[in-house]
Amino acid sequence: MATDKKHLHKDIVIIGAGMAGLTAALYAGRMNLDVLVLENGIVGGQIANATGIENYPGFAKISGKELIGALQEQAERFGAAIDEFDTIESVTLKAAPKIVETEEHVYEADVVIIASGMNRRKLPLPEEAKFAGKGVHYCELCDGHMYQDKAIAVMGGGNAAVDAANFLTKYAKKLYLIHRSEFRADEVSQKRLRENPKAEILLQTEITALRGDKRMERVEILDKKTGAKREIAIDGLFVNIGVVPNTELFKKELALADGGRIVAGEDCRTDIPGVFAAGDVREKEIRQLTTAAADGTTAALLAEQYLVKLKEGHQEW
Amino acid sequence: MVKVYSIHNCPWCDKVKKYLKSKNVEFAEHNIEDNSADADACYKLTGDTAVPVITADDKEYVLGFDKAKLDVLLGL
Repeated sequence: MATDKKHLHKDIVIIGAGMAGLTAALYAGRMNLDVLVLENGIVGGQIANATGIENYPGFAKISGKELIGALQEQAERFGAAIDEFDTIESVTLKAAPKIVETEEHVYEADVVIIASGMNRRKLPLPEEAKFAGKGVHYCELCDGHMYQDKAIAVMGGGNAAVDAANFLTKYAKKLYLIHRSEFRADEVSQKRLRENPKAEILLQTEITALRGDKRMERVEILDKKTGAKREIAIDGLFVNIGVVPNTELFKKELALADGGRIVAGEDCRTDIPGVFAAGDVREKEIRQLTTAAADGTTAALLAEQYLVKLKEGHQEW
Repeated sequence: MVKVYSIHNCPWCDKVKKYLKSKNVEFAEHNIEDNSADADACYKLTGDTAVPVITADDKEYVLGFDKAKLDVLLGL
């Protein structure tokens, strides 16, 4: 542990500033707790890239940026501090207090709420590294604009993929949605895409190779029903084939489920006293914005109860 | 002057700009959605179709938010 780092104590350190983390910060702030949120990626997490959220109660349609911006402001108004530039280097959860070491600080915390969410799964093809940024992309909002009047493909069949495809039709001359099985996206989003004349939907189709010289120019696809392979000209491929839990920092200390998510019940308690897991990083059946907000609420309220008992000398869990 | 090539709706562009402000780095934003000459210059510099792109001399650049690389590029 570096000695020149500043040591600070916090009631609660929240790891991750997505919907779960910011909701926990809002509740903790309102309970006058000294709370810090650390975010290694972007504030908002996956939802920061969402162009139009239509299933968050109370909003007919809202962008991820607007929703998260409002939540961040709300949490900060009640005293939560959010640091998105001081990268977390290591976490020790079984210690008392718990230690969260960043590039610049050593934080001691009585409670840690892990709300580190998920990262997009990378395209599992050897050409991915060659064409990343040169035809292969993971951020529709950031990079979609570069493909005005070009042929775009979206890989994936879940809600995020179909929403990305719908968004990208505003740039594309031609938009392919390519997915290895059947749709998992909700009916409303599917219907919107099916009705768009620019869109061509290729289900039961796998992308087997990327071709091109300096940039990706074509993708090779396999029709799983017929076994036929062919190439189609694609300028930009946006990969949306699911997510992987962001649990690298915790895997030595916490029990993880088969898919890598943290094992914790609906009360968000992990098997380490004082450590909660909230949002998409927690192993559970339904992972939605609303359930992430619910987890953040639960974790913060139970954290406050735990802190009260801890100060009274009882470490009940 | 440091240049940041960006677009309007881009969370990573926002993060880069916020980071530069937190370090008191003066920069000029070049929005490639608004200005095709900037879009051409950005593509010429990187060959990539991605933003944000940060450069101080129109030669060396950083693509995306990479704090360690930005610190080296800008001497932070």
